[in-house]
Amino acid sequence: MDELYLDNIDEFVNDHNKIVTYKWLSLTLGVHVNTAKQMLYHYLDHKRKESSAQLHATYLVSGKFVDNGQTSHKISVVREDQLEDFKAKMSLIVSVHVYSVQKALLKDSSPLYSVDYDAVKDNLKNCSKYSAIHCTSAVPMSSLELQQRREMQRAPTPEPAVKKTGMNGEANLASKPSTKPPKGIMGMFGNKAAPKNQDSGKEVKLEQKEDAPVADAPKSKPAAKTNPMINFFGTQTAKKPDNKTVKVEEAAQTLSTAEQQHQGSQPEEKHEAAAVESPKDIKKDSRSKTKRIEDSDSEEEKMEKKKRRRIKKPEPDSSDEDVIPDSPQQMETREKSPSPVKEVESVSHSHQGVSEVKIRKRRRVLKSRTFVDDEGCIVTEKGYESESYSEAEDDAQATKQAPKGPVPAKLPASSKEGEKKSQKKMSANANKGTKQASIMGFFQKK
Amino acid sequence: MFSDLSAQKEGSSLLCRPASEDQGPVFERMSLAYSPCSEHYRVGERSFSRQYAHIYAARLMQMRPLLTERAQQKWGSDVLIRKLCDLQTGEQCCIVGTLFKRMELQPSILREISEEHNLMPQPARVKYISESDELILEDELQRIKLDGKIDRDKCVTGSVIAVYGAERNDGKFTVEDFCTADLPLQSARPALSSDRFVLLASGLGLGSIHADSMLGLQLLVDMVTGQLGDQGEQSGAATISRVLLAGNLLSQNTQDKDATSKPKYLTKKTQAGSVEAIRLLDELLLQLVASVPVDVMPGQYDPTNYTIPQQPLHRCMFPLSAVYPTLKLASNPYQANIDGVRFLGTSGQNVCDIQRYSSMDSHLEILEETLRLRHLAPTAPDTLGCYPFYQKDPFILEECPHVYFSGNAPTFESKLIKGANGQEVLLVTIPDFSSTQTACLVNLRTLECEPVSFSAFSADDDEESEMNISH
Repeated sequence: MDELYLDNIDEFVNDHNKIVTYKWLSLTLGVHVNTAKQMLYHYLDHKRKESSAQLHATYLVSGKFVDNGQTSHKISVVREDQLEDFKAKMSLIVSVHVYSVQKALLKDSSPLYSVDYDAVKDNLKNCSKYSAIHCTSAVPMSSLELQQRREMQRAPTPEPAVKKTGMNGEANLASKPSTKPPKGIMGMFGNKAAPKNQDSGKEVKLEQKEDAPVADAPKSKPAAKTNPMINFFGTQTAKKPDNKTVKVEEAAQTLSTAEQQHQGSQPEEKHEAAAVESPKDIKKDSRSKTKRIEDSDSEEEKMEKKKRRRIKKPEPDSSDEDVIPDSPQQMETREKSPSPVKEVESVSHSHQGVSEVKIRKRRRVLKSRTFVDDEGCIVTEKGYESESYSEAEDDAQATKQAPKGPVPAKLPASSKEGEKKSQKKMSANANKGTKQASIMGFFQKK
Repeated sequence: MFSDLSAQKEGSSLLCRPASEDQGPVFERMSLAYSPCSEHYRVGERSFSRQYAHIYAARLMQMRPLLTERAQQKWGSDVLIRKLCDLQTGEQCCIVGTLFKRMELQPSILREISEEHNLMPQPARVKYISESDELILEDELQRIKLDGKIDRDKCVTGSVIAVYGAERNDGKFTVEDFCTADLPLQSARPALSSDRFVLLASGLGLGSIHADSMLGLQLLVDMVTGQLGDQGEQSGAATISRVLLAGNLLSQNTQDKDATSKPKYLTKKTQAGSVEAIRLLDELLLQLVASVPVDVMPGQYDPTNYTIPQQPLHRCMFPLSAVYPTLKLASNPYQANIDGVRFLGTSGQNVCDIQRYSSMDSHLEILEETLRLRHLAPTAPDTLGCYPFYQKDPFILEECPHVYFSGNAPTFESKLIKGANGQEVLLVTIPDFSSTQTACLVNLRTLECEPVSFSAFSADDDEESEMNISH
């Protein structure tokens, strides 16, 4: 081997005034670490023979060390003047080699770390290229492999989650399947969206045929305030129910948007009740300012609902980012879905909206809802909720309910003539369940 | 052990001129079969609305048959095992139940609130035991005070034990003897033909204000990756087939407690201390994973959830090292089969907590005690943060590990214990690396454990060496 490296090292040590460690040298010259150690030794030896300017060296000593009866393997970096002392203390010496060469005498060893750190940092990608150990399994994965791996990791994760709930005895196991994200986009729309929307679609159409034209314009206002996700819901709910076909088309276009759609539409179906409610509110909006404020409240309520609804997403946080925005929305369905059924029956107090609106009315009702929580405890919550209803709605419901029972059967007849009068009367004793307070109640009956 | 092994292989000395055309040896890293078994420490769906009572109920339910069996072994199969509600005064019998230690000094948020008006700052304590502590045994329905031959200070809340004795007239139960569930059954360990090692380290403490320990850490990395040392050393290092980092990779200093109390506008431009530390850790891990499989467990000060079981650190924090398949981000507690040898252990929170609430001081002693109780963390959820498990207590040991460790101990200790059914367990307390500069190597063939320490000279070394000479 040519001895050019002696000049190299000499330049580093004397001209650049560097601390030359074996590791730095190995990475800089691209030689095996052991060769670098020998080079340093050769250089040191060579210079000492020349007896030129003084050089300082540090050595690495490793071996068996016995302290208080406890044998240990000790690895130390020592200065040259301590070397012999140190070697004497070891009961078995495994290796000794030059660790570094420098012009100045090192007071402490921290500069050695900084030198190595900088060298390693510049060569992070191949920091073990020149080491004496090769590990076959340590091959960096390509981005494709990484992705596959991530997917593989993600796939099994829902499983432990489910197992866990079994283990921890969630009371709401029944609602579990609905919260589980379906496999494909089509699968999702096919299995869940379609049947549900078909059921509800009829009713929604009844309502929205008249509502839709008015609804579209004012809708944008409250929606603009909310975040894009809600915005998305908002516009969707305002649209006609046949937008689900549009959704599918869109979903098919790109995968990423499909992902969003998928999450976006999922809670929507679960909450078609909320969706049905919104057009009515919107209609109100166009009427009066005070109403609008009230409505924006309910809008926020809804937003809150939607946010909370997703908290219980069974996917753990280790999955990627698109879960994060929608994760707060899951919970709602579970907590609230059983409640509306009782809501209607347990309306304890109601009063008419103050303004004389011809078709739409609004009232605040004290509702108590009872639901079974995670622990299996029955919890009753009371609270005021505003809801709107209309004669048209009542009509629609009445006709729907007609075949079911004798009591509502009367309604269509009366409503034909004295709509206004009967409307008032009915709303007064609406709480008996003889009449649906809102269309929501109807859906919940299923 | 490791030194002897490395010294046997005599290579050419490095204190010579480089031989021409010699490229230097390259050893192949010994790879081992590895299967993680930490599934039941993974919390899938997290619901924190539950109460903790369920854990105790589940724990007692799972442990009762084990203890009943143990009690019959110990006091004869005809021993009378009673529930507390059927207890007759003066009757000799055995009760299985959960211990509860009523402790005067145990910090309580309720007491702090109730005494708000005449606030007396509680002195910081190392231990919370006192003379006035009372030991109480609970079963599903009732509780009874314990008295007699049971070491009150040694016991901790949450342990399920069987006591033998009789109830006295004053309503206390006089204990004559007691037993714990003891070691579970162990699967046989395969006989290995050659020595292979697993390196255990904990408490790297990156981001600490004392950066002087960094060279030691770098030496550790260089040793494992086969950079430093003679050929013998390097061939020895090639038999280190796995590195396990048991928590507290980051220093406590990276946790800024003021961050939440300071107004946002003051801290807007400051970066959390842990960001820089994690970057450092990523670079360190990169060097390791490029050469050896590494398991990374989180610890008390690491950026993951605080309550046990701590979930693995997120991959996104390690952009450099996470691309290597050799990096395994594990949970705390950790459980895995490495070449047929079952490892189980924690980053040390469970042991530290028991240390505070009992008279036991040695981490090794506490570690053994938890193994005898057959429970990783009896004090969870009482004094140790824990996820509210509902139907199952995952910390009950179902299978006996071969290596049972805990991290972040003040010193290295190890011990091989043997169970009644031929179980052999190596107990290891992994020392805190940042303060002791020591890691340890477990030999999978012999189940021996040896510390590996690193040192570098510092400015005050001279005086030290002088003192050594005077000895």
